[in-house]
Formats: sequence, structure tokens, C-alpha cells
Amino acid sequence: MAIFASPVTLIPATPQRLWGAPAVANFALGGLGAGLYLAAAAAAVLGGSPAIALAGWIGPALALAGLAAVAAEAGRPLRGARVVRRVRTSWMSREALLGGAFIALAVADALAPVPALRLLASLAAGGFVVAQGLLVRDARGVTAWAVPAMPAVFAASAATSGVGALLALEVAGGRPLTGALLGATLAILALAMVVWLGYVTWSDDEAFREATRPLREGASAVAVTGGGYVLPFALATAALVSGLAAPALVAGALMALAQVHAKWLLVVGAGRLWPIALRSLGLQRRPS
Amino acid sequence: MRWGMVIDLRRCVGCQTCTVACKQEHGLPAGVQWRFVADCEIGEYPDVRRVFLPMACMHCADPPCVPVCPTGASRRRDDGIVWIDDAACVGCGYCAVACPYRARHLVAEPAGHFAVATPSERATARPERRGVMTKCTFCKERVDAGRAAGLTPGVDQDATPMCAVACIAGAIVFGDLDDPASRVARMVAGGAVALMPECGTRPSVYYLAE
Repeated sequence: MAIFASPVTLIPATPQRLWGAPAVANFALGGLGAGLYLAAAAAAVLGGSPAIALAGWIGPALALAGLAAVAAEAGRPLRGARVVRRVRTSWMSREALLGGAFIALAVADALAPVPALRLLASLAAGGFVVAQGLLVRDARGVTAWAVPAMPAVFAASAATSGVGALLALEVAGGRPLTGALLGATLAILALAMVVWLGYVTWSDDEAFREATRPLREGASAVAVTGGGYVLPFALATAALVSGLAAPALVAGALMALAQVHAKWLLVVGAGRLWPIALRSLGLQRRPS
Repeated sequence: MRWGMVIDLRRCVGCQTCTVACKQEHGLPAGVQWRFVADCEIGEYPDVRRVFLPMACMHCADPPCVPVCPTGASRRRDDGIVWIDDAACVGCGYCAVACPYRARHLVAEPAGHFAVATPSERATARPERRGVMTKCTFCKERVDAGRAAGLTPGVDQDATPMCAVACIAGAIVFGDLDDPASRVARMVAGGAVALMPECGTRPSVYYLAE
């Protein structure tokens, strides 16, 4: 009598359908907004860049748009204020609180600049991004999300898109690009690509590998890795060497756009529910 | 006390009576099923088997859906029943993506089976459930009312979840897992296994295979 392999997969993995474009908007715009604010705040402190004057409005506006989009996705959006009730256990509550704090503090700093406000807004922005990663990590029903690397993935994504947007803002504002900014861009790109590649190859588990296949293979994967890391790295290097602004502008735009695409892939493409398997079922062949 | 269920896969014939009984008992709208019986074909020719797998909320002792809930609508009672407070749920779906067993469902729209709601649909409509997450409750109202009347859930039908009552094959057994004398506890001791124990959720629903 042959015994079927254990565990036996009884119901195959299927796509999760509850979180769609609004959730992507929240994660993508939240990461972009918080990342841009953090990058601009750092550039203001380290290089005296004035970009924070604009980023101080754009960053919180993007985060607010993301939160508004995801609130509209809820079945009872008018009860939205209740999502902050379980700060003790739920990363969604913490994300909402940190996102709200970031928006309020950043706007307050934009209206009446105070170093302490900007520092607090920056801390809230960082916490907001990490909270989004932890929120996704706690979604234990989705194979590709429930991995410890998820906060690092979200932090790296926010840093990449934020620095990319800052780069584009600096060029659009006609300001000369500093070697420090381009060097930081290259370092963040390299680090973020390592984090991304580490995530998509995180586990040898068959369900994880199958769920994350869209992140590793095909045109979409090329768009994220090639268009979001490799090409911007080459363009930023070219800008650093040549002093030209155009390659930096393209690199910045690619960095921001590719991270939006990566979030889409992560939520929609790789968002597959665990296959249902029964371990130790011990099913045996029945004589026919 | 910890309410639990053992499903004997050797007895299940895949008739979906439990599915229908649950829908009827709870007045579930079209497209929403708190439980279903998966018709699974496993193996490769000639070693092929057909298995019917009744699925519903596992009422986990360590439910991943409860701590993630941002409003506190998802709760676990002291007797192990995991439930959702309709009035507190915002319908964000976080609990659904946190559940490894696909047990939670969003009632998006009050859809009927036909263009116009039938008298029975109107009679069982639960507007408070629109836009919120829903799931199997182990028929907690029946269990609670039965216990208040001095009945024993799992033994007396009026205090037992409808799926177990309706099962034509006696494949669904309900009872107190903490009572070693109960039938469910004896079945668990006799080799019933939990679904995907590697998730670490400690389900209260077990399966008896071969």
C-alpha cells in the first residue's frame, strides 16, 4: 500500500481578494511620502537643502491620500476612527496612529518650523513605515507576507522611493546635485536591492516560492529589480561622474515609480493564501 | 472549558448539508458561507483519493485574527469561541488575511439569490452584518441558550451547533475538549489531528482521518 506524501495539499493556494488597489495605494503612497520627508529632512540637516519646504507638504499629503484610500476600502468606513483602539496588539492601530502623528507633526512644522517638531515628525515617519511592514508581516494567512523580513522590505522601499523623489525634486528645483546626495542615493539603492533580493529568496518553502514567483520572474520582476535598482544605480553613477542633472532626474523618477510597482506586486501579485494541507493524514491507497 | 469539534473524514460524504444548515441557521446572504466542504482529489494515478474536507473557523486557542483586529471587534471568549462584534467591526479585512484557514468573510453587499429579495431573505436579513467581517461562531447563541437551560452542548441537540446536528453521517462531533470524558476529547486522544499545526494557532477543530 502506497502512502501519499505528507503533508497532503488539499486546497491549493488562491489569491487573497480583500486587499486590492486601495491597500497598495496606502503602502505605496505612505512609503513614498514618509520616505521623501525623511530624505528631505536629512538633506536639510546634512546639506542645507531647502527641499524640505516642499517635501514638508508633499510627504504628509501622500501619506494622507494613502490612508484615505485604504479607509475607503473598508466595509464600514464611517467607523474608521475606531481603528486606533487596539494599539496594544494591532499593528494596524499603530500604523494609523503613527501615520496620523506624522501628518500632523509634519504639517505643524511646515506651518511653523521648529526643529523639535521636525525631529518628532521624522521619528513618526520612520515608525509609520516600519509599522506598515509589521502590519503586513502579521497577516499570517498570506504566504509571501508573513516573513520577518517584511519591516526591512518596507523600510528599504520607503528609503528608495523617498530618496528618488528627493533627487527629482532637487533637479526640478534647479538646484545643483551634491556628491553627498548622489553617494547616499547609490548606497541606499545598493542596500535596498540586497534587502529586496534577500526577501524574494527568503525561504525554500514551496508555497513561499510559488507565491513570490511574480517577484522573481517575468517582466514585472525585471521592472522592479532592473528598472528600480540597477538602472537608477547606473544613472546616478553617470550623474555623479558627469555632473549632468538629466540622468539623476530619470533615476529618481524610476526609483519612486518602481517602488509603487513593487508594492502592487507584493500585495496583489504575491498575495496568495496558504494552501490548506493536512499533515500526518496517513492516507493510504485503497485496492481497486 | 474549551469548546471544540472533531470531524471524521472517514464518514464525510461531501453532501454539504452542514453548509446549508449553517446558512439557514444564520441567515447568511448569497455568496457567504461560514463553512464549506472542499472536494479534494489528491495523489496521482493510480494512487488517487477523493477526500471531503469540511472547513470553517478553527476557533484557535491562539487565534492570529484576534490580536491584529484594530478595533477589538474580534474576540475570544473564555470557553474558546472566537467571534466578531458586528457593531465594532470596521470591515478592514485584516483578520481575514491573518487567518491561515480562510475562515473569515466580508459581507460586502446585501446580495440576494435573485433580482428581488425573497420572503425568506427578507425575514433573515441582518443589516448589521453588512460591511463587516463574519465567520462561524460555533453557534454560540445555541450553545449559550442550551447551557442556560441545563443542556449539554455536544450531547443535547438543542445546545449543539447546527452543522453537527444536521450532518447526515454523524461526521461532526462537538463538545468540551477540556473534559476528558467527552467524545471530542476521546477522539482527539485517539488520533484526531489539527489542520496545519505548524501555524502555531492551536485549533479547536480536529480531523480524524485514517
